[in-house]
Amino acid sequence: MRTERTSASRTSDVLRLLRTARGIVERRGALTPALVASTGLSVAGVELALTKHLELDATNAELASLVRHAGDAKTVAVILSSNVFVGALRAIAIARAASEDVLVRPSRRDPAFARALVDAADDPAIRLDERFDVPSLPEGEIHVYGHDSTIADVRARALPGVRVVGHGSGMGIAWISGRADLASAAGDLAHDVVAFDQRGCLSPRIALVEGPQNRTDRFGELLHLALDDLARLVPRGVLPAEERAESERYIATMTYASRVLVGRDHVVGVAPSGAPLVASPSYRHVHVVAVPDEPSGSAFLAPIASALVAVGSDDLAAARRIAPRWARIGALGFMQRPRLDGPVDLRPA
Amino acid sequence: MDSTRSSALHARALTFVDAFERGEPPPDFDRLATDLARYQADHVPGFARLCRARGIDPAALAHANDIPPVPTDVFKLARVATFDPSEARASFRTSGTTVGARGSHDMRDPSTYETAALAFGRHWLMRDIEEKIPVVVLGPSPAAAPDSSLVHMCKGFVDAFGEPASTSETWLVDGEILDVSSFDSRVANALALDKPILVLATSFALVHFLDAIGDATFELPRGSRVMQTGGFKGKSREVSAGELRSELSRVFAIPERSIVAEYGMTELSSQFYERTLFEIDAPHSLYAEPPWARVVPVDPETLAPLPDGETGIAKVIDLMNVDSAVVVLTQDRVRRPVGRGGFELLGRLPGAPSRGCSIAIDELLGGAKTRSLDVN
Repeated sequence: MRTERTSASRTSDVLRLLRTARGIVERRGALTPALVASTGLSVAGVELALTKHLELDATNAELASLVRHAGDAKTVAVILSSNVFVGALRAIAIARAASEDVLVRPSRRDPAFARALVDAADDPAIRLDERFDVPSLPEGEIHVYGHDSTIADVRARALPGVRVVGHGSGMGIAWISGRADLASAAGDLAHDVVAFDQRGCLSPRIALVEGPQNRTDRFGELLHLALDDLARLVPRGVLPAEERAESERYIATMTYASRVLVGRDHVVGVAPSGAPLVASPSYRHVHVVAVPDEPSGSAFLAPIASALVAVGSDDLAAARRIAPRWARIGALGFMQRPRLDGPVDLRPA
Repeated sequence: MDSTRSSALHARALTFVDAFERGEPPPDFDRLATDLARYQADHVPGFARLCRARGIDPAALAHANDIPPVPTDVFKLARVATFDPSEARASFRTSGTTVGARGSHDMRDPSTYETAALAFGRHWLMRDIEEKIPVVVLGPSPAAAPDSSLVHMCKGFVDAFGEPASTSETWLVDGEILDVSSFDSRVANALALDKPILVLATSFALVHFLDAIGDATFELPRGSRVMQTGGFKGKSREVSAGELRSELSRVFAIPERSIVAEYGMTELSSQFYERTLFEIDAPHSLYAEPPWARVVPVDPETLAPLPDGETGIAKVIDLMNVDSAVVVLTQDRVRRPVGRGGFELLGRLPGAPSRGCSIAIDELLGGAKTRSLDVN
């Protein structure tokens, strides 16, 4: 028989998990090589993720929001895949807030952090199940993090009565307002781009610069310099072959069509005004676009709104105006440090 | 714009078509290709930048394979043309996507493209028939789709190969409606006269046709042939090429080898055809190239040509792209089989598998690079 869990006890369980994660960070020396090997991030990239982008602190209000959002379930299975590794903490925290029976299936490619977290938690309510098979769960919830195809597959295989909560791929964009100090904005945005080598669903892939083309050109140059500076401290990790091919294609496209600034570990493409979006890879490639005003920014974003998880800006009110209603709004430099108040991805299911 | 130089290059391109039609060896491919590249570098700043970025001096080019290819995405972002927009006599739009505007391919002198398209189309679709026959297009009319290069090409085929017929009897898609009744009438008349029919259609239009007729058959006259092109673009359910061909063969009561796939795109002036109609042993998915165009499988990262038997992405050297881009880099996977000519089309290059949760923008865009019947 399940006992009633109060909000206080759920919050306490989450706090215990955060303390566990803090301990892992303090002892990260042993874990870092495994994380480098599995994530492909550089040593400095892993260090950055653990020390700056792992959500170890939360206010009471944020925790209350997380607990409220988590709801209640008999069992929660967490399937981690194609995620930035620190995301395991939030995912497991939400599951733990919801349930006293949490099983975690880590990403096959990137299991190190999730395993370390569950092992160190020493919480009988959380267990690893690396062979978890979706149809084996008779009731409860499955929280799946990954591609849309993975989520669809889980939905198709889950038993009736099992609630599937999917968190798919997404992206962030940056809105550089007409009043922004371009150098400051570029420096802040560089931090958002560098985190996780731009592979997270919050990672800004496009920067919309309000104003004329020459302002956008200048922003592109400043972002290029800022990314070069930051790469000295946090080099990009391994760039896989397929991404190198996409990078070369993007560089050729932007060289012909407009302008491209190629750094040691990044590419900034400055699009001509009014040009449509073209494919650019992640791994520190930023597509910079001039838009004359906020309505134009909204119009540019409308066709890709379903993919937008986050909008960062120097002007949060402006970001709220142009962003889809579900997007997380954050200051530049903090796009990859969302509050621990629930899932990162607030898009409607 | 240097119209004298352009006209001279158009004339040289047409000598390839002349030679082909007379059964003579083609002129020097590399020489024209590199002359086109030099002309384009002189008149298109973007291409000149691309050459510089690749360390290529156009003046020193001697081989077509050394010309930097222009990715198809460029056509969406920039005007790929050596001449002023006011001189465009044809302007074709690339496939629509849900994000942003479509690209365009302007032509100063579309007659070169038209001549080449007709010559190669005749060779792989109609070389056994001298007289004019009924031609129907499962697509919109030129008036409804003036910026579609596919429709433009089909019009050329209708004019060259087709017996007189009204617009409504020829172009069988009006808006969202496929006029199966008019198709039926044309077929009935042709059956009565024992005349073959040439059907020109996109894959999604053919799927709609099959869905419209349900379990019925729709026998075409003996000797009829179907040119099928393009993908589904979300306009119909997706069907494998083999399955579609098999079903069409059953419904139309014609051999599968009479269903000929065509590969082309708005960014190119040349087309490629399956050889099955006239080469009994030719497999489907193996495409013939005209002497004025080459499909080279290249490594996606280095763009180095790959040996026969290896799969790469298609770099197309198209001598008919006189005033645009002589070499285009597509996103289609191809392979040149060992020991026989032509190339196999193996589908679109998938985007790089995501190693994080950041979405592949390529997935978002999702636009195909083949010609479209989109009107907007």
